Amino acid sequence: MPVEAASILPALVVIVPTAAAVLIFLLGRFTTWLREVLGVLGAAGALALSLAVGHSTLRGTVLTSFNDQFRADSLSALLVVLVSGIGLLATVYSLRYMRHQVQEGGLPHTTTVGRLRAYYGWLMLFIATMLWVCVSNNIIMLYVAVEASTIASGLLVVFYWDRRALEAGYKYLMLLTVGITFSLFGCVLVYATGASILGGSKGLLLSELKGAAGMFPTTTVVLASAFLIVGFGTKAGIAPFHPWLPDAHAEAPTPVSALLSGVMLKVAIYALVRTVSMFYPSFAPVAMFALALGVFTLVIGDVMALAQDDLKRMLAYSSVSQMGYVLMGFGIGTQLGIYAGLFHLLNHALAKALLFLAAGAVMYSTGARTISQLGGLAKKMPVTSFCFFVGALAVAGVPPFNGFQSKLALFAAGAGAGDWWAVIIGIAASLITLVVLVKAAKAVFWGELSGPASGPAVREAPLTVSVTMAILAVLCLVIGIYPKAVYSPLRAAAAVVQTISTQSPGLAAEHGSAPAGSRSALRAAR
Amino acid sequence: MTGISPQLVHTLSLLMILTSFAAVEARNLRHSTIAYLAQALLICGLLLAYATLNEALYYWAATALVTKAVLVPWFLWRATADAEQETKPLIGFGISAVLIIALLAVMYKFTHAHAGLFVNATGELAALAETNLAVAFTVFALGVYAILTRRDAIKTVIGLCLLENGVHLSLVSLAPTIKETALAGIATEVVVTVYLLLYIIGGIREKFGTTDTFKLSELRW
Repeated sequence: MPVEAASILPALVVIVPTAAAVLIFLLGRFTTWLREVLGVLGAAGALALSLAVGHSTLRGTVLTSFNDQFRADSLSALLVVLVSGIGLLATVYSLRYMRHQVQEGGLPHTTTVGRLRAYYGWLMLFIATMLWVCVSNNIIMLYVAVEASTIASGLLVVFYWDRRALEAGYKYLMLLTVGITFSLFGCVLVYATGASILGGSKGLLLSELKGAAGMFPTTTVVLASAFLIVGFGTKAGIAPFHPWLPDAHAEAPTPVSALLSGVMLKVAIYALVRTVSMFYPSFAPVAMFALALGVFTLVIGDVMALAQDDLKRMLAYSSVSQMGYVLMGFGIGTQLGIYAGLFHLLNHALAKALLFLAAGAVMYSTGARTISQLGGLAKKMPVTSFCFFVGALAVAGVPPFNGFQSKLALFAAGAGAGDWWAVIIGIAASLITLVVLVKAAKAVFWGELSGPASGPAVREAPLTVSVTMAILAVLCLVIGIYPKAVYSPLRAAAAVVQTISTQSPGLAAEHGSAPAGSRSALRAAR
Repeated sequence: MTGISPQLVHTLSLLMILTSFAAVEARNLRHSTIAYLAQALLICGLLLAYATLNEALYYWAATALVTKAVLVPWFLWRATADAEQETKPLIGFGISAVLIIALLAVMYKFTHAHAGLFVNATGELAALAETNLAVAFTVFALGVYAILTRRDAIKTVIGLCLLENGVHLSLVSLAPTIKETALAGIATEVVVTVYLLLYIIGGIREKFGTTDTFKLSELRW
């Protein structure tokens, strides 16, 4: 049983990058390097604090601040380390990348300097709001934090301020806000019902609601879950609510794309799991709905990825598909399923951030991102080429990379729960993922140098860009070869999420408790 | 005795539907904005009516007045300075009216059948909450309807505001004892989102020469 301890750490995780953002907006106008230094310091500070949170939770302590408004358990810890870690890498990657964008005239000249200041400011706020989602224990503030992360990233998506970016930005803000408002409706229903059971402001606290969710009337559970799944699912890129995703991920500056695909989708699915899983023990059909939606998403994402010729759009659709796998894990609903979902969440975050950063390196050197125009880049950009292949094979689930381990766990969980149809579709879609990503990697990096890749100025990306990619590639390999390294944080995080009841109907009858529609009961009824 | 006048609450919530309808159906974007402003004032009235239950709602009413009745309409007014007329919507007035009346009837039936599940109250307060919920669901649905069927980007923002109003009304009806911090967070969020959307739409007008969302066709697949 975890011990609760009051600590300022969960709040500080949010406060530090927010303070960095404020300083960037205030002081960044004076010098170019100051805003970059502040950005890196803010992100590094957030990572250091997140690691401290992770250290405490691994030792069985749940940290709470401000009257339990902020709360970090093992699940929150996993997410904050992931967000701040990839946040720091994206910030370091931005240093050379964004300066290069300015020199190349990728930005409107009149506003270049101001815009770079805004870039780092909003980047820090984006990271801070995502961290806030992960440590918020107040269900209404959870919504506020999720929407705040949409607002903070909205200006990053429209950063280039051209036709494509504006269209993507409009769709992004509009669709996500509509989606998230649905989730607010869900949060309101949960809070109102919870408050009537728990009394007063306790109904706002997720940690308290978890215990009361079993007493919710079925209609409330169905309605609230539907709103929450549609709402947070929109933000997590779950089909059919995903149309904003390929546009925003492709048109945003590359480090932001890496954050959007790498961690923002995960933060949204975290919000979904944190809220909806509280109904798992009492009402298992919710999990079945999530499973079906997950499988639908992984198929749609893969099929759409097949049709893309734009490197970043292809990666974005692949993210839709991989979020389907993550949701599939949570939809299986057993301990192993949730463990596998979290494992894949971690692996996809690393691998997809890597792929986006590698795609950015290609754009940095060649100025092109159309797959069919590129070729033979491995000769000139060996590090980028290696990193892209690592990312592609990891996402596709090929051994010895990390994606293989999590997909294996996922399929084992599906088979264990008797959801064979989902396992078979999942394996088939994995093959499509492999084809899509390896085909693109081959077209861009192998063969003869052609098109923009053959220019004399094309060479390996600068050190800060290469190092950030290399770190992610090494992590993909290490977790793939030695998955035990992440077992304990993942197991602890999975233990926080409630599972569906796997009691058999007979056993349930003996105990006099009837878990309404547990998976086994559902199967027996069929 | 709850201290809330049932007639007042019923009248205010029903007027909410009328203002939503006007905001969605008015072809002139400035008329829509005025309808939205009227609705914002109605919400403030409702919040004041409920404030007898929870003093925090006075604060919420003031926040709503500033954000919904002043800032958002002001932003909308500025955004419609050059083009007051809306791009022709997908569905015309006649069909719209029929759909909206049907929607209201369904929502009424649903909330009156199920309100007991959400509303932890009895007697007068429960009846009030039932009506409010029906209205909240309808305003919410009208917002979704506007976003789906209107081609003009600014009109979709008005739809979004209706959507938010629906949820806020349900929040006050279902959980009138909520804390200020949560309310302040929600209220601020709406204003910032609307400001940002209109800012981006301004950019769209500059680059595309129109706010017709059908003309946004750079990104297809």
